Amino acid sequence: MTDLVIGLGSPDGGDDAVGLWVARRVAALGLPGVAVIEHEDPTGLIDVWGQADLALVVDAVRSGAAPGALFVLAAGADAPPLTADAWARTGRGGTHAFGLAAAVELARALHRLPPRLVLVGVEAATVEHSTSLSATVQDALPAAVAAVVGALARQLPAQHQIPAQEVDLDVSR
Amino acid sequence: MSHKLTDGGQVLHVGTLSRVEGEGGMHLEIHDGHVGAVELRIFEPPRFYEAFLRGRSWTEPPDITARICGICPVAYQFSACNALEDACGVSVPDTIRTMRRLLYCGEWIESHALHIYLLHAPDFLGYPGGIEMAKDHPAAVEQGLRLKKVGNELMTLVGGRSVHPINVKLGGFYRMPTVAELGGLRPALERGLEDALATVRLVSTFDFPDLEQPYTYLSLRPEQGYPIESGSVVTTAGTAFDVRDFPEHITEHHVAHSNALHASLDGGGPYVVGPLARYTLNFDRLSPLAQQAAREAGLGETCRNPFRSIIVRSVELVEVFSEALRIIDAWRDGTAPSVPVPARAGEGFGATEAPRGVLFHRYRLDDDGTILDAQIVPPTSQNQPSIEADMRTLAESWLELSDHDLSHRCEAAIRNYDPCISCATHFLDLTVERT
Repeated sequence: MTDLVIGLGSPDGGDDAVGLWVARRVAALGLPGVAVIEHEDPTGLIDVWGQADLALVVDAVRSGAAPGALFVLAAGADAPPLTADAWARTGRGGTHAFGLAAAVELARALHRLPPRLVLVGVEAATVEHSTSLSATVQDALPAAVAAVVGALARQLPAQHQIPAQEVDLDVSR
Repeated sequence: MSHKLTDGGQVLHVGTLSRVEGEGGMHLEIHDGHVGAVELRIFEPPRFYEAFLRGRSWTEPPDITARICGICPVAYQFSACNALEDACGVSVPDTIRTMRRLLYCGEWIESHALHIYLLHAPDFLGYPGGIEMAKDHPAAVEQGLRLKKVGNELMTLVGGRSVHPINVKLGGFYRMPTVAELGGLRPALERGLEDALATVRLVSTFDFPDLEQPYTYLSLRPEQGYPIESGSVVTTAGTAFDVRDFPEHITEHHVAHSNALHASLDGGGPYVVGPLARYTLNFDRLSPLAQQAAREAGLGETCRNPFRSIIVRSVELVEVFSEALRIIDAWRDGTAPSVPVPARAGEGFGATEAPRGVLFHRYRLDDDGTILDAQIVPPTSQNQPSIEADMRTLAESWLELSDHDLSHRCEAAIRNYDPCISCATHFLDLTVERT
């Protein structure tokens, strides 16, 4: 079954586009058995990740951490639900934008979560209208790509594995 | 949150993900068993967009103002287009107007489906939110997601993107979709129409609190059809005026507790824009199918109970699915995607019906097209006084409730308006001051 990398974000929302940038870099690697897509609307994720066994969603994060900081969370069907706290601080906390966390938990309620789902967040410096990333987030792209590839590597044949991971992930089944 | 991993003790965090569009709060004062001050507080940054637009080119507002809202960018794009084309003395052909209407149908579908199923229905079915409701009513929520997906597909085909369309330009579109492309959407739209009719039947079974709004309703009314992408202004007070005269009738004023301006009509009390106003002022313009669905759901030709707005939104879903199918079936290839809109000095006015009500734009241009002045009146700012008035009426009968229950009821009542401050799901930070 194909693994799926989803870059989530708005292409002209400044660092909100970081998921798309990471997705493009991962796509350029041409990893076998890995599909890469860009997506803008979290409510559509439930259809996008469809039958994937492993899906990775890369998105911008605003947590108050240093811009460029990387966050990784296992959130698939086999992982515990995101906490109420996570809800409050992601999409559910109050927006039209039905956010990523809301999409994850809605899919869980409908039994439409991939068995393994990994969320990779990159702390944004700015989400003002712009078609470019901030320098700090630009610098964080290699680590974010490594995080994605690291998660995928658990599924890849040995010759495609990345030897040195900058970020360790728990994607255990 | 922090999350302890099992394989190395690494502590991980997921903080606030992006695309949060606003915050709001409600302040309620209760003195001696009576409701005192009721203030809907909107913490959105002041509307710097109007200042930001000054000095920009006349071709830019459709793209710039679309960023104000992630759920109704088409409304901003087309209100801006209407106003700027008016300023430049350009009237677009019916084909362009029709394609705008089709794209707008997609936005209504996206917005209404999300609000009905994931934000509003949980209030009536007794769930804290759409996720909890999905566990017990998966078929209903799947139906809502299916509806929204069709809206996304329509937006993607006509607008080039499902969220912020990139195919829209002043004077029309960069490219028109073809008959073949539009025909590809027909099966999904037909299924969507069936889902929309089922939605009307579903929500009509909910229990609705008694509340009749005495306020004036205001909506657009076009020469033909249900108001979506154009029209002049009509009200239940019997007034009717051209969009050009909007500033003479609508006065915006600042109130200390909100960053969003309040609006009043002809110096009077609260007025309401949105589905109830559109429906009440334009029932005769609904398609026979939508009218029949409304009647079967127990609606008359007017509706003044804000809680029943969920039925009206569902009827409007039937209307826009029917309309989208009608437009697709009549479409012919070979029409010009746009007309030139050369700059000239002047002032222009434009309004369209965003999913949650009339959105007005005004621009004043220099002779080279530089924007000298811009004004944007969004629907939620117009509805703020009515929301507060509803709260005052309702809270009087809810005073015995705990703060927690009162907060929940107030949230639900505010969701009747599908407010664009931040939307509906638990945005409300209610403070109650009891003395």
